[in-house]
Amino acid sequence: MGRRWHTIRVVRLLLVVIIAAGLACTSLGAENTAFDLAGNPVDPLKSGGGKIVVLVFVRTDCPVSNRYAPAIQQLSEEHAAKAAFWLVYPSKAESAEVIRKHQREYGYKIPALRDPQHVLVKESQVEITPEVAVFSTDRRLVYHGRIDNLYEDVGRTRSVATTHELQDAISAALGGKSLPVDATHAVGCYISDLE
Amino acid sequence: MRSGFFIILALLSGGVAARHVAATRESARKPAATQAQVTFNRDIAPIVFRNCALCHHPGEAGPFPLLTYADVKTHGRQIALVTRKRIMPPWLPDRGELKFTDELRLSDEEIGTIQSWVDQGEIEGHPADLPAQPTFTSGWQLGKPDVIVRAAKPYLLLAGGSDSYWNFVFRTPVHRSQWLSAIEIRPGDKRLVHHANVLVDREESGRGLEKEPGAGFSGMELVIESKAFDPDSHFLFWKPGSRPYVEPDGMALRLDKNTDLVLNTHFQPSGKPELIQPTLGLYFTDKPGTRHPILLQLDNDRMLDIPPGERNFLVSDDFTLPVDASVLAIYPHAHYLGRDLLALATLPNGTKKTLIHIGNWDLNWQAVYRYEQPVDLPAGTTISMRFSYDNSAENIRNPNQPPKRVVAGNRASDEMAHLWLQVLPHESGDATIDPRVQIQEALALHHLQNNPEDFEAHYNLAALFQMKGELSGAVLQFTEAVRIRPDDPTANNALGAVLLAGGQIDGAIPHLNTALKGRPDYFDAHYNLGNALAAQGDFAGALTHFQAAVRLHPQDANAEANLGSALAETGNVKEARLHFERALEIDPKNELARENLEQLNRDSHDHPN
Repeated sequence: MGRRWHTIRVVRLLLVVIIAAGLACTSLGAENTAFDLAGNPVDPLKSGGGKIVVLVFVRTDCPVSNRYAPAIQQLSEEHAAKAAFWLVYPSKAESAEVIRKHQREYGYKIPALRDPQHVLVKESQVEITPEVAVFSTDRRLVYHGRIDNLYEDVGRTRSVATTHELQDAISAALGGKSLPVDATHAVGCYISDLE
Repeated sequence: MRSGFFIILALLSGGVAARHVAATRESARKPAATQAQVTFNRDIAPIVFRNCALCHHPGEAGPFPLLTYADVKTHGRQIALVTRKRIMPPWLPDRGELKFTDELRLSDEEIGTIQSWVDQGEIEGHPADLPAQPTFTSGWQLGKPDVIVRAAKPYLLLAGGSDSYWNFVFRTPVHRSQWLSAIEIRPGDKRLVHHANVLVDREESGRGLEKEPGAGFSGMELVIESKAFDPDSHFLFWKPGSRPYVEPDGMALRLDKNTDLVLNTHFQPSGKPELIQPTLGLYFTDKPGTRHPILLQLDNDRMLDIPPGERNFLVSDDFTLPVDASVLAIYPHAHYLGRDLLALATLPNGTKKTLIHIGNWDLNWQAVYRYEQPVDLPAGTTISMRFSYDNSAENIRNPNQPPKRVVAGNRASDEMAHLWLQVLPHESGDATIDPRVQIQEALALHHLQNNPEDFEAHYNLAALFQMKGELSGAVLQFTEAVRIRPDDPTANNALGAVLLAGGQIDGAIPHLNTALKGRPDYFDAHYNLGNALAAQGDFAGALTHFQAAVRLHPQDANAEANLGSALAETGNVKEARLHFERALEIDPKNELARENLEQLNRDSHDHPN
């Protein structure tokens, strides 16, 4: 008698746990999105305003993505009329405050997003920081991969880049062409290390 | 009953232990991934604390800390990758017969353990297994220095672009010769600095290259002039994670009044603009240097003429030691095309020793390597340098895309084939022979054999002849140096000075004038020309140059005394007296000033105004 009662109680407890987990999932699902630094949900692919969209995935403590800051900022300014650039920080641990400081230090004027649930990471199929994803005006993923070939591999750096994949992808997207989406392998820090 | 129970238990546990051992033996043959569970606390933390945390802690060169489970987990796959590829920890030399101090190399087993940990999901493990976090001294590693010198002006490193090579000139505040046991180099933000070298500049060579005092100057390599025979003797080197080196007793470095320290640095842009203002901590000792090492340089820059596309261009040099010596440290150096760097020693009995082999050269991680035990090499040992270069487009570090012809030079896009060794010559038993002079002479002759047009070798050989009092040899070699670089102020001044010393005043004057044409504020040349003109009886001409010399070096007693003499000879006795007095104020033992002043006093006594 005592044993049976005990079993039931365990089952009921488990049920409660499952329901709670389910609720949590649902509530997160309602905000299955990236956020701006004020905490508002933002879908950068919807707010393109007829421009192509370039998402640049970075993290504050990845030396490779930091070294690209001037190049990224410059490309965003060159293409400002036709391409909307966003910086995407996929780390849960990097707060809006830390990101603001990072932007200031590295001279970024591009709007920044937090992507703690990796919604944009998945949609862009990116795995590395720095990695870029280029979307056409109709939200089609045109390219994801490295910015250029400055880094051949971790620890193997060229003096100067000799190919410029992001530039090529932007030109292709503006010309309505498509590139092999995963043509290049980005070099830097693994986003999966943040999970 | 009770005791029986215990016996059974004991047997059981023994059986379990035995099975566990068997399982371990079994798993040793299997791939790492199937090994027993790896945890951070027990298995990973000791590896990371010992090999990574040195640089990966706040304030150090590593771009992020690696001190906690969370730190390591958030870079876990990254760490597995860079350790597997042996990019981290950075250590270039292959494992060899001779051991270096502070070797930073993971074993294959340690790399496998990190791999397994990541594959198994980066488990934290039992808190009791976690070793104590390493503690690091913040600030000066050797304690408070006796003197701290800071670069006069910071260097602005731009956010992007190529690597920068910058030299800071530090004026040292010593007022008499002192002995240094260590220099701690704090190059500024350590995340930006790839390496830094201190050069002892006894002749203010570096200052001459600054656009304004304290501004510093750019350049990857530099030549430091030295008046006396005082060869470079110490490696004063910094790289990320290196601990400041304290010289052993008797190996202290001499620092004189008016000695500058030039810090040669290599920076990599970080993505944001950075101001870099290095400091040096000087540590004095009262134990003078009694054992005098020398830096021996093998090179063969003339062979460096690499056609575009060449994948395996070999440069070699072989130098035979004229005396018994011990090698204390070694520093191989090439730029971005260097691929495989090898140094060998072939002893007189034919035995070969690999002094260093770097199979995968990377300029970014260059370093000075100190041997755990000095490597004794008898006289007659041949030291060989065998460097190979890759000037193909496939060498991703090639600064020229498409590749082009590359020759020796100081810029990052030029190449170098240098091998420096710090050697300590053994006592010869004959106190009149300085074995360093023998080495230096053998080296200069060797460099001339490689390249008869080697300006520095002619110059150094001449200086050695001059030191030994062999003036005709000195004249011959300085003449060769001037033939190679007709406008070089240093060589022209030196040739003028030895001609003057040999009484060939007419021959000396044109060279001293050439020296001043190239460098109008050249103290030595003004001083020498003043003497030459005075020897010809042209005291008015001499006066001009001694005035210039005093303006340049107001603390030089000899210049003041000579200025006084020139003034006295041109009839300006009153002012002459002031300069003799000034000379004696600087150096109360200055004989010329004392004698001339006494002479003036006698004259004024004989002919009172």
